[in-house]
Amino acid sequence: MGATEEAFITPAIPMDFTYNYRIGLYMTRYLEGFKERKIMGSRCSGCRKIAVPPRKYCGVCNKIMDEFVELPQEGTLENFTVGHVVLEKGRLNPAENPYLLGLVRLDENASLLLARVEGLDPAEARPGMRVKAVWKDQVEGDYGDLDHFAPA
Amino acid sequence: MRNVAIVGIGYTPVFVSKRRDVCIPEMISEAVENAFKDSGLTPADIDAIIFGNMHTFEGVNLPHLWCADYIASLGKPVMRIATGGTTGMAALHAAYYHIVSGLHDVVMVVTYEKHSEGDSQVGLLGIITPEIMAMLALGIDVTGQSGMGAIGGGSAGGISYQASSYLAHSGAGIEHIDAIAAMERRNAAKNPYAHLKDPEATAEKIAQTPLVSYPIRFGHICPTSDGATVCILASEEKAAKLADRAAWVWAVSNCCSDATTGNLIEGIITDPAEQMPAVIASRQAYERAGIEDPKKEIDYVEIYNGFAHQTLMFLEKIGMCELGEAHKLLEKGELEMSGRLPVNASGGVVSTNSIGTSAMNRVTECALQIMGRAGEHQVEKEVHKALAHGWGGLMQYVTITILADKPKKP
Repeated sequence: MGATEEAFITPAIPMDFTYNYRIGLYMTRYLEGFKERKIMGSRCSGCRKIAVPPRKYCGVCNKIMDEFVELPQEGTLENFTVGHVVLEKGRLNPAENPYLLGLVRLDENASLLLARVEGLDPAEARPGMRVKAVWKDQVEGDYGDLDHFAPA
Repeated sequence: MRNVAIVGIGYTPVFVSKRRDVCIPEMISEAVENAFKDSGLTPADIDAIIFGNMHTFEGVNLPHLWCADYIASLGKPVMRIATGGTTGMAALHAAYYHIVSGLHDVVMVVTYEKHSEGDSQVGLLGIITPEIMAMLALGIDVTGQSGMGAIGGGSAGGISYQASSYLAHSGAGIEHIDAIAAMERRNAAKNPYAHLKDPEATAEKIAQTPLVSYPIRFGHICPTSDGATVCILASEEKAAKLADRAAWVWAVSNCCSDATTGNLIEGIITDPAEQMPAVIASRQAYERAGIEDPKKEIDYVEIYNGFAHQTLMFLEKIGMCELGEAHKLLEKGELEMSGRLPVNASGGVVSTNSIGTSAMNRVTECALQIMGRAGEHQVEKEVHKALAHGWGGLMQYVTITILADKPKKP
């Protein structure tokens, strides 16, 4: 028996629910820092590396990171991608203009921050370029406060 | 430890975008029947069943139980494995553990995906939703433009960083990603179980496909396929009684690091192309298999490459060539079916991606090459030992399986 035309059912299940994820102690400290335009990290007492945003464990040393440090606002563009599509309401659409998304290594820091990079032609972007943090005019302790990075 | 052999392989007759004619259990049953035909075994020979597929993709939470009678499992132990992209190989490893432990002698591994019945976006969201937590933990503003770019720029979000980092460190160019994608689509044209086939594929043709997120183009990305793969494994004693041909498992290994966009053996974003789990897992596998120089001793490799640059990148990470050398081997034609180090003669994941099967097919394709049964895509050189690589999870989980043409000496 072969199906000659497509036969399927589309169940509609009337459910609407939301997940509420707690951000935890370390991320709270990071976002508290945003209210003063500060970028906070945590330092491992074993290997001395700094994680930004701060996190509880250094996986390499299996140690609890209990020292909070404020980081410089400048760093290097370690790596980047150029987005040509945007996700809008679950669909991928072409971006109005190609845009730069960078991985930024803040000075004195071991880990990378993912951030939008503005004020730089994507075609001109190169690993190793110097960049600095640009904040929103109004900061309120939200992820979006650290708006983007721009050439330093 | 006792030896374990692969004694039977069954694919669905095709891997395509939409199997409109069959429901999920019916499609899976085709591969089960083919594995029985291939091995000459019957359901009575099977002691236990391992079942693997991607969570969420079809919105079916307990597919292994729904399919119970279609996978010949009534009255038998069944275990489901879901580790993301590596699911197929993790499931095979579970079967290996069952047999090595002495608990069972013959175990059947069933893997599938029927992407067309779910919504890929919803499926990926099922992965991204917990990953959003990982993204938030890295300070990524998931609701703002950079976060949406990271998600929307694709699964390409993290992958494009990986690819651009790989290019920056290896000396390869985007033209090499185009070229490896073209090679694999040409290989796929010789594999009856491949999905995207193009016997005329060239780097120039791939280069005409649009950029999604630099340096990833549409032509570098795997499809979503409907299909199933079944593999039967047996202990050495049972294999001697039941099978007239086999591929032997010499080593399995796997390695995980911390979650998210990069590769995070340190729990923080480091270089997304670092992929330490691949380095660690392959070293462990070589040690377990007694392999001192993989470059000389491994004849054939199947790399899990949802994105085309990964073939080159992972060849380097697993020590099959030096860092920065893979694209040079590609230029010399050494990665072709006729080459010195043939890779992904099957066409790889970039050509066929029924995701539950994707890591499993790396192993079954190595097994077919070892047994000389790959047909039109059999490589020219003799294959005595082969390595299958799986990759996925939240971009940081790697599985390795090493197969050989004879049992390993104790």
